[in-house]
Amino acid sequence: MSADCQKTTSRAIPTRRVTINDATILPHDYSTTPGGTLFSTTPGGTRIIYDRKFLLDCRSSPVARTPPRCLPDIPGVTSPPSAHINNDKAHPPQQILNNNCSTHAEKSAGEDAQFEMDI
Amino acid sequence: MNNKFDALKDDDSGDHDQNEDSGSPKECEKEKNEEEEKDQNKRKTAVPGAGEHPLQYNYTFWYSRRTPGRPASSQSYEQNIKQIGSFASVEQFWRFYSHMTRPGDLTGHSDFHLFKEGIKPMWEDDANKSGGKWIIRLRKGLASRCWENLILAMLGEQFMVGEEICGAVVSVRFQEDIISIWNKTASDQATTARIRDTLRRVLNLPPNTIMEYKTHTDSIKAWEDFHGLVNASGGR
Repeated sequence: MSADCQKTTSRAIPTRRVTINDATILPHDYSTTPGGTLFSTTPGGTRIIYDRKFLLDCRSSPVARTPPRCLPDIPGVTSPPSAHINNDKAHPPQQILNNNCSTHAEKSAGEDAQFEMDI
Repeated sequence: MNNKFDALKDDDSGDHDQNEDSGSPKECEKEKNEEEEKDQNKRKTAVPGAGEHPLQYNYTFWYSRRTPGRPASSQSYEQNIKQIGSFASVEQFWRFYSHMTRPGDLTGHSDFHLFKEGIKPMWEDDANKSGGKWIIRLRKGLASRCWENLILAMLGEQFMVGEEICGAVVSVRFQEDIISIWNKTASDQATTARIRDTLRRVLNLPPNTIMEYKTHTDSIKAWEDFHGLVNASGGR
């Protein structure tokens, strides 16, 4: 991440083996292991680590609910903002109007016809 | 002419609609580089917005779907694979994910790919060419949950294998679904073992779940051998 970090010699992450005889021993939270908590840093340097619960919590933040810009319109696969006007009240209308990619996405819908083919 | 072949490939995951029909490897390489340059000029690298939670790496969502009845070639693979978009933060990830169909609701022979930005979900990519993948076959009904758990673990850097992870694929097939995770160095057994153990943990798999590691060179070889077989027997 930072250019001025010191060069460290590499070495293996110390591990120990824990035998699991029953699935119930496995912890529910995957930031922990039966033998203890995982390392938040590795010998290569600090990494940005998020556990599942944290990531799922971020989902409800308003920023995370805004449709991405320039989402391609692939029928049956993506639902760009234009397709959401009627059924998604979470997004203020002006955001949808400001999204200048929606017309672009509609224009390219013809190219996507091949994706509708199925037997 | 590819029907027999396609049937065989049906149970493979993600990366198989490619072959060596179109020119020498050198030519392919050149095309790829030119295309990468074009892509880089066209697309800006995603950056986290203010107040968003940055990810360790940027990632790109891709979607592909086999077009029935068309000859499989590396060109058609590239044409059939579509970039959905790139993101750099947790919040940007959810923006895409929330506006995409769950894999379990996809129809037909289709794949979602989530790869680090700059790595194409193809065997030939520099990051993949010495690599391999863990494959887990899932009975119908499990793909959406397993895919979500898999990609959340990848984005959250739960695998603890440094730079080794390249990306993940979910492949929707007729009778089963397949999820796989690709890494850079197939010969690095410590890494592949750690990826396997992390997969078991984050996917909450039953202890008897079969997990298969496949190197990309084996995948390519199997592909080429089969082509040879088809040609030697005169095809159809």
